Amino acid sequence: MKNIRSGITFGIIGGLLTFLFGGWSVTVIGCLMGVGLGMGMAGRFERKDPLKIALAVLPSALTAAVLLVGLSLYQNNFVQEAIGKRPAAENTVLYGNLIGFLGTVLFTTLLAALRGLPEKQEQTARMILLAALIVAFPFVDKLTALRWTAQIIFALIFVILGLGLNIVVGYAGLLDLGYAAFFAIGAYTTGILSSPQHGIFMNFWLVIWIAAAMAALWGFMLGAPTLPLRGDYLAIVTLGFGEIVPVLFRNLIDVTIKEPFTCWILPGLIRLFGAETTMACITFVEHEDLTAGEKGISPIGRPVIPFINYEFQSSNPIPWYFLIIMIILLSVFIIRRLRDSRLGRAWMAIREDELAAAQMGINPVTTKLAAFAMGATFSGFAGAFYAAYIAGIFPSVFDFSASIIILCVVILGGIGNINGVIVGGLVIMTADRLFLPALKDFLSSLLTHTVLPSISDPVVQRAVSDNANPILYRFLFFGLTLVIMMAVRPEGLIPNAQVRAELHSNETPPIEDETPKSKKAKKG
Amino acid sequence: MLELKDVHTYYGNIHALKGISLTVNDGEIVTLIGSNGAGKSTTLRTIQGLNKPRTGSVVLDGIELHKLPAHEVATLGVAQSPEGRMIFPRMTVMENLEMGAYARKDITSFKDDLEHVLTLFPRLRERITQKGGTLSGGEQQMLAMGRALMAKPKILLLDEPSMGLAPLLVELIFDIIKKLNEDGTTILLVEQNALMALSIAHRGYVLQTGEIVLADDAKKLMKNEEVQKTYLGVE
Repeated sequence: MKNIRSGITFGIIGGLLTFLFGGWSVTVIGCLMGVGLGMGMAGRFERKDPLKIALAVLPSALTAAVLLVGLSLYQNNFVQEAIGKRPAAENTVLYGNLIGFLGTVLFTTLLAALRGLPEKQEQTARMILLAALIVAFPFVDKLTALRWTAQIIFALIFVILGLGLNIVVGYAGLLDLGYAAFFAIGAYTTGILSSPQHGIFMNFWLVIWIAAAMAALWGFMLGAPTLPLRGDYLAIVTLGFGEIVPVLFRNLIDVTIKEPFTCWILPGLIRLFGAETTMACITFVEHEDLTAGEKGISPIGRPVIPFINYEFQSSNPIPWYFLIIMIILLSVFIIRRLRDSRLGRAWMAIREDELAAAQMGINPVTTKLAAFAMGATFSGFAGAFYAAYIAGIFPSVFDFSASIIILCVVILGGIGNINGVIVGGLVIMTADRLFLPALKDFLSSLLTHTVLPSISDPVVQRAVSDNANPILYRFLFFGLTLVIMMAVRPEGLIPNAQVRAELHSNETPPIEDETPKSKKAKKG
Repeated sequence: MLELKDVHTYYGNIHALKGISLTVNDGEIVTLIGSNGAGKSTTLRTIQGLNKPRTGSVVLDGIELHKLPAHEVATLGVAQSPEGRMIFPRMTVMENLEMGAYARKDITSFKDDLEHVLTLFPRLRERITQKGGTLSGGEQQMLAMGRALMAKPKILLLDEPSMGLAPLLVELIFDIIKKLNEDGTTILLVEQNALMALSIAHRGYVLQTGEIVLADDAKKLMKNEEVQKTYLGVE
């Protein structure tokens, strides 16, 4: 019964999504939905015969598929007309829905059935399947002309940012409200080192490491004086840092750097003794426009694959997609190793109880500093990739709201859990980049063909059409998501086992202290 | 082995320790007794480096501990089972015990030591995969002691090991403390339960509002009229 209910929920959500995207989207949505539904239901079964599990989930898979295709066909036959768009071509409708239907059923049963295998095999099989889907996605996207890949890349950038922030917030338990500052430092390092702004055109493969190193260095510089602070105080300092950095980049448009000894100290001393001096002052930089202020730095050099000399193009997102997937894989690998290392254990001890950790011989300051610097490193990678992908950077991108969105990614996904953060990043950013714009288009065409013509007063008409733009309310949605998550599922979508244990400890009461029987006590 | 000389410790302007001098010799159990607020826990915190003495010195085998931060003191063989236990609530019992051995450079004997601790506290073995925060009070006390033992300390500081425990459990804990000492661990024991503490200790110090008012053999302290009246409840 629970399975059927999941099937109905997934089917309806998937079907409604086809209302927004139309055309071939039913195929992609069907397959992704199948994966989600299958993985979600797998956990409800015992490890036994895969075939039995497949048969057990088949009804809910079929329910989901029927609902999806039904809604998609309804969309094509009725909704499209209502919003004043032409229905899709006959072939698109036929094959799109057919593959969508099969994809839903196939992936749901397949992923659920994997649960029947031994644990090791299940994980390997699931990994292979997910890898195949990840590789296939951009090509399917291109064939079906959905143009989602370019937006998914943004989501993946935020996945890396989330992974980095997760080290600081999730592992070491330090609340960082200015994390976007390190993202900005990574992006601006790339901008300055590979653009016509200064006539420096460094290779992207080199710059991305420099950007990461710069971000780490600044993480270290911010951390060193502030990390003896605790809790709220640290959060306030990071908040300040997050505000300062974009302001700095906005205003570094007239930079003069002089060598202090020859320019001030020596002449000052000479004047002190009453003599006059016209000594040559060593100036490193004079009236240099470092960051181009509000205009931003653009264009920024793109990565070139050596040997075959292929330069990445903004018109073709597929190479970018695979590049960022590779960066994510590398990051996940490094972060996993870190988490399981001695340092990772020290982070967790600090998060639990700083004083007790110090008593165990952990140096709190260097441990926290390492978390800050490591977290910043990953945002440096993300910043470098972002700058190259957009081919331009502007200070407004890195303001406070960016820090908050990254924090939302971590909280929504599940603090302290790598998989959770990946899901959180994908959910939040696809909602922001794909869902909201599509919803906006859908609403505005719906209104133009239904309500608006019946409104006679042009002022009211204007007000209605202007305000029916969900993109205006994106921060309202972020806020609502956070409030609802905190109230309903504070441990996140895919929680860290420890966090879940703490938040729901009252549901499984601790074992009562039995007074040891006299026999037992004497034995001890 | 451990020597405190004229230690003055402050919390802000509050003069908590007013010139404490005490010694703990190798292989001894020394107990600090005194009422609430006498400065017992502060003395232990000062030895561990969690509070810095304003004047005076804390010396362990010739090393001046008062000049070192807490995490370095831990690496020198000082381990504490702190007041209020301070276990890591979201780590399992096993992970808590592993944290105890964090500062050790030689981890070759880790398995043997773990076995030793789990033999001392069989209850911990039953709970080995459970989260520290879900243990009962007595089990948490055992875990805090076990974690301190995993550091293979030269000197073990125990802060109120009997606090909040059922009487039978207190007896068990004190048996274990005695056994640990017989196996060669030097122990500095802070206790409100003066009778229990003096019955297993070699020597004792009586603390009153930050000052040591009495220092003697444990047996003699037990017979001291003043001590009997104030701390042992003998009329």
